Amino acid sequence: MNPVLLWFHQLGSPPTFDRFAARWTPWGFGLGLLGMAIGIYGALFMVPADYQQGDSFRILYIHVPAAWMSLFVYGLMAVYAAIALIWHIKLCEILAMACAPIGALFTAVTLATGSIWGKPMWGTWWDWDPRLTSELVLLFLYLGVIGLNAAIEDRRAAARAAGFLAIVGVVLLPVIRYSVEWWNSLHQGATIKLFGESTMDASMAWPLWVMVFATKFWFIGSLLQRARADNLERESGKDWARAAAGVPR
Amino acid sequence: MSAPSLLAAAKAQARRDLRLVWRRRGDAAQPLLFALMVVALFPLALGSDPQQLAKIAPGVLWVAVLLAGLLTLDSLYRGDLEDGSLEQMLLAPVPLAWLLAVRVAVHWATTALPLVLVAPLLAEFLFLPGELLPVLMVSLALGTPLLSLLGAVVAALTVGIRRSGMLLALLALPLFLPVLVFGAGSVMAAAQGLPWAGALLLLAAGLVLALVLAPLAAAAAIRIALT
Amino acid sequence: MSYLEYVIGAYAVFAAYLAWDFLVPRLRLARTRRNIVQRARREATRNTGVVE
Repeated sequence: MNPVLLWFHQLGSPPTFDRFAARWTPWGFGLGLLGMAIGIYGALFMVPADYQQGDSFRILYIHVPAAWMSLFVYGLMAVYAAIALIWHIKLCEILAMACAPIGALFTAVTLATGSIWGKPMWGTWWDWDPRLTSELVLLFLYLGVIGLNAAIEDRRAAARAAGFLAIVGVVLLPVIRYSVEWWNSLHQGATIKLFGESTMDASMAWPLWVMVFATKFWFIGSLLQRARADNLERESGKDWARAAAGVPR
Repeated sequence: MSAPSLLAAAKAQARRDLRLVWRRRGDAAQPLLFALMVVALFPLALGSDPQQLAKIAPGVLWVAVLLAGLLTLDSLYRGDLEDGSLEQMLLAPVPLAWLLAVRVAVHWATTALPLVLVAPLLAEFLFLPGELLPVLMVSLALGTPLLSLLGAVVAALTVGIRRSGMLLALLALPLFLPVLVFGAGSVMAAAQGLPWAGALLLLAAGLVLALVLAPLAAAAAIRIALT
Repeated sequence: MSYLEYVIGAYAVFAAYLAWDFLVPRLRLARTRRNIVQRARREATRNTGVVE
């Protein structure tokens, strides 16, 4: 059998996944933190201040990676959910549900940093800018998946239902995004480029890319950690779980 | 014995659903009264200045219809779930998606269509300019079936959960947003003299897609929720 | 205009969220392990208590 496929199948076994997650979680967090340290240092101390926005634009180096992660994680969650629903793979159910809180956190970071950035820019903590409005709706979609997963007692049925909701959400996400932009153009005339990051000199862009990769590594660490916790809890009665929890024989 | 034809099954399902609604025909007035109350809340909260109310009228009317529809979603499957007929529909020789499509159509005709027909009356309470009424009616006629179809998918996911009313509303609202934006937006655009037909065409396109896809998605969701 | 408070605020919010994301699963894992050990202990005493 193809070794990659074999490895993938073996990973589906709960005790194997527990060991895998235990091994690789520190790497995810470690590389993520290292990357963030480098990126944040660059963002705060090495990049010159923006001509128009002064130092407040440095918030961009968190806001943009967080925004990209919030979208990426949602897509990944839908992919895991689709695999889980089509091929009934339990591990993918666990991974899909583990994605949801992480994605929600990144969405919350996007909204919070966007709001904090907006205060010196627009003078208010909130503006119904199409991007922030879409992020808010994305947060609601995440919370819906988390809520539905929590509302059903049977863990497998809950993951399947919430996963289906995630898939419906991902299909409608472009529609929602487009409708918010249309709504914004209707009510505000010409769209204003509020964050003006489209043209960015390379000397200012590198911390952004470092942060983008760093958040991905952090996500991997967090995903594995959450999936490991869920996996162990689902299998609490099994012998391997007892051994892993340190029950003396 | 061969399976009944799709048309025969649809007629039987529709007849049954209509008969059930007829037995509780008093309940059919509730969404209407709710929408009327919501409409009345705004002048009471904001003041009765006709010009101010006329400005917000399209949005308020759309929100009232949307919220009323949201509250009726719970009754879409609950009766069938409680007496076991939902499982019978699952086992029927006719595709579940087809039966659900008929179910949603009857539900829309008995809960949302009355709202759409009463909309001109509600519009008067908010001093909506007369020339905006046709756009409003078309937007509601296209938008409310779309809301029913989207709602049917989400309601199917929560069908087994006890006391799921609030959760259902929270799950459905983000998905309703584009319908609200294009529906109310078309009327707002018309009010400002901007082109409004595009939004309505988008709603129509969405409705056509939903007519085909939503029953299939709802059937899949029911299977997931009931097994 | 000093943007310093805002920049510090934004980075602090980010750090707080990361800390939350790190700690919550660890606490859950610890709680699950505790539950498993306690459940095993309960079942062990239950089995020895049965007289056949």
